[in-house]
Amino acid sequence: MAGKTTSHAAKRPVLEVAGYSLSYETATGPLHALKNIDLRVEHGQTHGLVGESGSGKSSLAWSILRYLPENAVENDGKILLSGESLRDRTLQQILEIRGRRISMVFQDPSTSLNPAMRLGEQLSEVLIRHRGLTPQEALEESEAALDRTGISKPKDMLRRYPHEASGGEKQRVVIATAFACNPELIIFDEPTTALDIITAQQILELFNQLQDETSISALYISHDLGLVSRVADSVSVINAGEIVESGPRGEVFRTPRDSYTKALLDAVPDPTHWLGVAAPPPETPALMTAKAITVEYGRQSRVAQLLAPKPTHVGAQDVSLEVRKGELVGLVGESGSGKSTMAKVLSGLQDFDGAVCFGDRSYARLGEIDRAYRRAVQIVFQHPDASLNPRQRVRQILSRPLKLYDIVPPEQRAERVAELLKKVRLPVEFADRFPHQLSGGEKQRVAIARAFAAEPELVICDEITAALDVSVQASVADLLVSLQNQTGTACLFITHDLNLVRQLAHRICVMQRGRLVDAFARDDAEAADRNPYTRALLKAVPPPASQAV
Amino acid sequence: MTGLALLVLVLGAAIFGPFLAPYDPQAFHPTVRLQGPSAAHWLGTDQFGRDLLSRLLNGAPSTIFFGLGATLLGVGAGSVIGVIAGTAGGWIDSIIMRILDGLLAVPELLFTLLIVTILGGGMGQAMLAVAIAFTPGMARIARSSVLSIRTREYVLAAVARGEPSHYIVLREVLPNAAGPIIVESTIRVAFAIMIGATLGFLGLGAQPPSTEWGLMVAEARQFMFRNAWTVAVPGVAIAMAAMGFNLFGDALRDSLDPRRSH
Repeated sequence: MAGKTTSHAAKRPVLEVAGYSLSYETATGPLHALKNIDLRVEHGQTHGLVGESGSGKSSLAWSILRYLPENAVENDGKILLSGESLRDRTLQQILEIRGRRISMVFQDPSTSLNPAMRLGEQLSEVLIRHRGLTPQEALEESEAALDRTGISKPKDMLRRYPHEASGGEKQRVVIATAFACNPELIIFDEPTTALDIITAQQILELFNQLQDETSISALYISHDLGLVSRVADSVSVINAGEIVESGPRGEVFRTPRDSYTKALLDAVPDPTHWLGVAAPPPETPALMTAKAITVEYGRQSRVAQLLAPKPTHVGAQDVSLEVRKGELVGLVGESGSGKSTMAKVLSGLQDFDGAVCFGDRSYARLGEIDRAYRRAVQIVFQHPDASLNPRQRVRQILSRPLKLYDIVPPEQRAERVAELLKKVRLPVEFADRFPHQLSGGEKQRVAIARAFAAEPELVICDEITAALDVSVQASVADLLVSLQNQTGTACLFITHDLNLVRQLAHRICVMQRGRLVDAFARDDAEAADRNPYTRALLKAVPPPASQAV
Repeated sequence: MTGLALLVLVLGAAIFGPFLAPYDPQAFHPTVRLQGPSAAHWLGTDQFGRDLLSRLLNGAPSTIFFGLGATLLGVGAGSVIGVIAGTAGGWIDSIIMRILDGLLAVPELLFTLLIVTILGGGMGQAMLAVAIAFTPGMARIARSSVLSIRTREYVLAAVARGEPSHYIVLREVLPNAAGPIIVESTIRVAFAIMIGATLGFLGLGAQPPSTEWGLMVAEARQFMFRNAWTVAVPGVAIAMAAMGFNLFGDALRDSLDPRRSH
């Protein structure tokens, strides 16, 4: 493969990693992070490196930047930057290379910028250090660099501190900094993962635009195949420290050879591929109706308002939605849109104005939510690590709802716990484990089992797949559908992932800044009369990899 | 490991010390006054010729159990107040915390002295005084620990399920909030031992002829320049006890993390 690419590449590859292995010395023996890695980034090209968490993709980025922890052990593989070996450089030489010849853009712009420095200072610092500009020149150059990233008032932005800029603006500054010194290679480590859908889309467009203008080579690391398919010229797929497949984008996505790549591609949500349960007949009565729900955070008592009035923050405003028996309703929105506020209201964790009707009962505030409602409506949270008590065994966690709602007599609880574990496709022996002995996906299954243990009529899923890897995500979604099929439970599925929700939901509601802006049946998603915000969201979602090529 | 070894040594002395003492701790040996270590008196003798090792071993229980007792009382009271403030929230929390803030403004030793002055001297009173002085700080730690756990998703899940409050506090919150409280307690034992010794030294705690270590330092003080051993022996013992509890507290913090122990 090396011969094939060099034959028609006029220049040397900008980055060449050959036969490189890395392991970490740990108390329990060596941990092999990278095994015999071969990777090339050709001049002016973007190479995508795709892998799930723990695959070793970040370890590789740190190896290239020569920033390894003390317990790292390397073999004698090669890491070459434009033909020069990076491995035998002194620290001083590496410091010269970082920033000037290789720069890096990290996942979360809010942690990669210094909160105590103005954005302008941070940008010009790089220019002063690596291009030897005077402070005045550097400031002018920074303004020009920011201008290229499409920030509307670059001069204003330079005077701001990081907390005075939005996530998207901050990431633009970081990207401007990375491009500022015209490096040979930029490493992007999941640069859009911490951003909202529409902002991420804009950052991606910016990346493509700057890439075209400057023809700087890039190594683009991501877990998101759909995303990589839109930016990369060639792609490598890494699994458990090994590159399992590598080649031009079209080839890898259209005709994947490796079984892992195939599985990964299959796991990417595809809105045209329906997974959900059959829709309930149209005359099905509503199970739960939320009527004009309003939530104000930071509301004060009358006395406090007089003494020291503080502004309140609206979490949700006049939101009405209904879920029918056996139905799966998707609730979609970006962060801060109020979708989690609704989850809290409907699961009885947050006080509200308006009314929640369930069956033939109506609840007008948090205090009225009773045991019967709480049993009928169960919630599954986003973070599998935080949603299980670390000091209780799975058996204890699952038998608690059985005991609380007296679902089965005490002597049958153990049996029921085993049944629940089987239902969520976990081995029965897991009953004796603690949460930290389970993987993220397994924990989420336990959380789902706990919700279904109560034999609920409605399950609220608050971003239950957001913290999971793509392949695990798909299996959790599949599990949810099969549970719905078995039990006929209705579900309110809250997510930011439009492609996923279009595979599962019969109806989709869209929230923006605390308001419900759109609600439609799944088949009408592409209809011309959709709300402009819905259309923007749909447009911003990366189409599945197989279609992109 | 060092912490545990020191702790075993100190606790061993506290439990078995009085039975191991080679001499009567109060017996005068006028011929061997203020002597350094020898085969007969391993740690030397004091101004009356009393065997220092025997006195040290005899004083261990009162010194160590003073520290443990005072801490236990303080931690108990502080945790109850802190957990109440942390779980109740709202104005209950505000009132409790403002009172505690006021008490925290007074240095611990000064606060202890104040209480001893009101209650009168003696071991029991001193122990109570240290416990009261520890309460505000412990309450603050317990409260912050509870607050950080209270918003975890597994606690929210319990609330959403409609669990009774006592289940949420005792089963979901406390077991996970206990780590910082336990660690802080072990470190506080060291402080309590030192405050106890200070009170003994000032004549406000244990009274002669007790062999409490602080009192031993106080009594030997006048002869410090004729024989430093008389001060050094109880002094080093106090330091070792304090260090043992301190290091043990650090080790405990690491091992209490459920993710670290498999």
